[in-house]
Amino acid sequence: MSDQPEPSGGKPTPPESLEPSEQVRGRLLLDQRTDREIDEAVLRPMFETGPRFWILVGILGAIVAWGIYAWIYQIYWGMGVAGINRPVYWGLYIATFVFWVGISHAGTMISAVLRLLKADWRRPITRGAEAMTSFALMMAGLYPLIHLGRVWKFYWMIPYPNNRFMWPNFQSPLMWDMVAIFTYLIGSTLYLYLALIPDMAMARDHTDGWRYKLYRGMALGWRGTQGEWHKLHRALSIFSVVIIPVFLSVHSIVSWDFAVTIQPRWHSTIFAPYFVIGAVYSGLAALAAILVIVRRTMRLQEFLRSEHFDALGKLVMVAGMGWIYFWFSGFIVEWYGNDPVIRELIHEEISGGLAPFFWLQMTANVLPVLFLAFRRIRTNPAFLLALALLINVGMYTERALIVFGNLERNYLPFNWGTYRPTWVEVSVIAMTFAGFILLYTLFSRIVPYVPVWEIKEGRLRYSLRRIGRLLVPTAAEIE
Amino acid sequence: MEKAVKPSAKTQKNASERRWGMVIDLDRCTGCQACVVACHAENNVPVVGEREAASGRTMHWIRIERYWEGEYPNVKARFMPVLCQQCTQAPCEPVCPVFATYHTAEGLNAQIYNRCIGTRFCGSACPYKVRVFNWFRPEFPEPLGEQLNPDVSERSRGIIEKCSFCIQRLRRAELDASASGNPLADGAVQPACLQSCPSSALIFGDMNDPESHVSRLALSHRAFRLLDFLGTDPAVIYLKGGETNV
Amino acid sequence: MSEAGRLLAVFRESTATADAIDALHETGVQDDQIVVMTGVPYPERAFGRHVEWLRLPHIVLAGAAGGLIFGLFLAVITPHLYRLDIGGHPTVSFAPAAIITFVFTMMATIISTFLGVLWEMNFPEFGTKFYHRLVTDGYLAVLVEFEAPLENRVRLILETHGGEHIERPERQTL
Repeated sequence: MSDQPEPSGGKPTPPESLEPSEQVRGRLLLDQRTDREIDEAVLRPMFETGPRFWILVGILGAIVAWGIYAWIYQIYWGMGVAGINRPVYWGLYIATFVFWVGISHAGTMISAVLRLLKADWRRPITRGAEAMTSFALMMAGLYPLIHLGRVWKFYWMIPYPNNRFMWPNFQSPLMWDMVAIFTYLIGSTLYLYLALIPDMAMARDHTDGWRYKLYRGMALGWRGTQGEWHKLHRALSIFSVVIIPVFLSVHSIVSWDFAVTIQPRWHSTIFAPYFVIGAVYSGLAALAAILVIVRRTMRLQEFLRSEHFDALGKLVMVAGMGWIYFWFSGFIVEWYGNDPVIRELIHEEISGGLAPFFWLQMTANVLPVLFLAFRRIRTNPAFLLALALLINVGMYTERALIVFGNLERNYLPFNWGTYRPTWVEVSVIAMTFAGFILLYTLFSRIVPYVPVWEIKEGRLRYSLRRIGRLLVPTAAEIE
Repeated sequence: MEKAVKPSAKTQKNASERRWGMVIDLDRCTGCQACVVACHAENNVPVVGEREAASGRTMHWIRIERYWEGEYPNVKARFMPVLCQQCTQAPCEPVCPVFATYHTAEGLNAQIYNRCIGTRFCGSACPYKVRVFNWFRPEFPEPLGEQLNPDVSERSRGIIEKCSFCIQRLRRAELDASASGNPLADGAVQPACLQSCPSSALIFGDMNDPESHVSRLALSHRAFRLLDFLGTDPAVIYLKGGETNV
Repeated sequence: MSEAGRLLAVFRESTATADAIDALHETGVQDDQIVVMTGVPYPERAFGRHVEWLRLPHIVLAGAAGGLIFGLFLAVITPHLYRLDIGGHPTVSFAPAAIITFVFTMMATIISTFLGVLWEMNFPEFGTKFYHRLVTDGYLAVLVEFEAPLENRVRLILETHGGEHIERPERQTL
């Protein structure tokens, strides 16, 4: 710490020994552990997988297997085994698709946006967040296949020269979906991998056997020379900048699947920003839930501290406030306009058959915003987990109401309908949830969950500095 | 002032000489559903069964929408045959990712069965909800299998289908006309629904021919189009019933 | 030219490392004969070293341009190759073309960044290299290549600045 003489105007300061406050002492980046101790703390959960871990993997695998069976059943017999009908041509599959794309937005928010803003509290979280993005996108990418009537012809959506000389229709929002989600998936997976390379080198140096071979392969021969670090930093900066317009455009494109049609309550210009902010909200909430669980099950209390949950909780709250604003903006315009079909749809949603779901959605999305205003709640893992799960329930309901709730009514009353999901749909959706958790669980044990090099880099930047009677953490700008 | 209610030909890029259109006289429609049955027979449209119909999965390419009006004992039933409106500005066409639906030069909204991969985006985008989907493999319990029309392809499961203005009959009539050298007469082409309507409520013809029956009927003061305010520019024109508000 | 020798030392702290490197420069060791390996990124200027000029931004720009062209091709040219009229919209229109072009530009940028950075780092490289495992435990490793007569002076510099495990490095498989 620097002992600068104070410009105090002559008054002598009493020679007391200065102690950093408890909050400051608890900061991760001011910790006094050696690098080797951090390495070992991070590697430990990768070696210690107890019976509960394998039971969880087994259960998840069973759910995934059942879901695959349900999907094959659907391919064999036809889409009729799902609950969709005319006019509700899109049901839970598309709603879950939108939900998964939404979840994927938090990862980029944390690792790209916060990296550019130089927010150091992101350091222990980036890998977990990026992994969440990649796996959520993988699950999302299944749904355009699952909901196809003739899934074996899906490759006609891929632009390749063929003997029919036909190309896909690039004016269709589904084509925009395909390319955008593919781009985002590639982007986030490559981003995840690039930032992983130095930690693969660390793991390579501390393991043996099959692990050594795996990490050696993934580390690509990384040594940590200055040239390598410089190039890696430059690539990560470019990625951070490029992936931001990608993530903003992906969910806008998904929203345009609905907004470009003239279906009442879908044809709304607010859909693109509304969906994006909803995605950030649900994704950050999902990330908070995952971090609480991972911290407990992998015993990473040392790395995921109250400062991180505090900051993440604040972000979730702000995203929630944004969601409320965009929801209200869309709602008031539709309600005020009094278009007959929209009036009927709103009535159906607020006080009709869909009312329980609508009020669940509003409660589950609005209440947490109020609770997250309090630091005690943000930093209490149990409360945060409960609120985060509630938010995701609310956001899933919101997607579902938008997708099939608004298809139940249209301009010709003779063609109004209802929608009831069947066991096939529920099984396939459960498959993707279980698949996501399974991938994430396996990932967290094969790969160092906490980005060790980023934490070490952060500790290099941080020191304690004296300002008056206070000892404050200071971040140096050494990049 | 005469209101010319007809689909605009000028929005067609490759407008050919013909522009097929249909006029439906609601004053004549009795709701007998003969057109529905005839369409099933002509176009190999399967019957889905009671359970599927109750789930909202009927596959009628043309349906009779029935609305009740008034209170007992002064109740009236209004019937409206609704089929694919063959919109000039069809909202279902741009959204198909594989070009399974497109606009022909004669103004027909064509569906290419073997290109459809079943995303059902077109079904959601259609404001009239006239597009139907094959939820299961279409089945024709005996003896329906004996009366399949060889001019129309059988669709597999997972494909969207809809009224095509009996394009097979249009093509057959055009081929016959060019083979015999005679021009296609007005009224020579009759889609199946027209052919079986006992009260001649449906009229079909070339809207680009000012002398054709449909063109003259389209000038009627009773003419209107369904959901006109959406701007889909349909080629199906309805004539208001005498004392109805439909 | 006399035979080249190599020495590898690990340091615990960055200032000592920088002083050692300065001293090595004064002794006549060129900057490109020194390799510093760390577990944490330090800027090159922290050790008074030359910052490498990267080709990566050029690779990224080239990739982005390629993506732009490919996206334009798909959005603007392919609808004309097999022309199908879509009701209500022209064959090619601005908004969908803009979306497709944008997304393919981004896709190409991302892929070219990744492949470019790997190419520039010469990865993957699984051969034997000079390395020390303590690098990932927070030590700063300095690998010096020098002409044989300078060996004792180099060794002295490394020792006086706090270098540990000073030895002739063996090539190890990484």
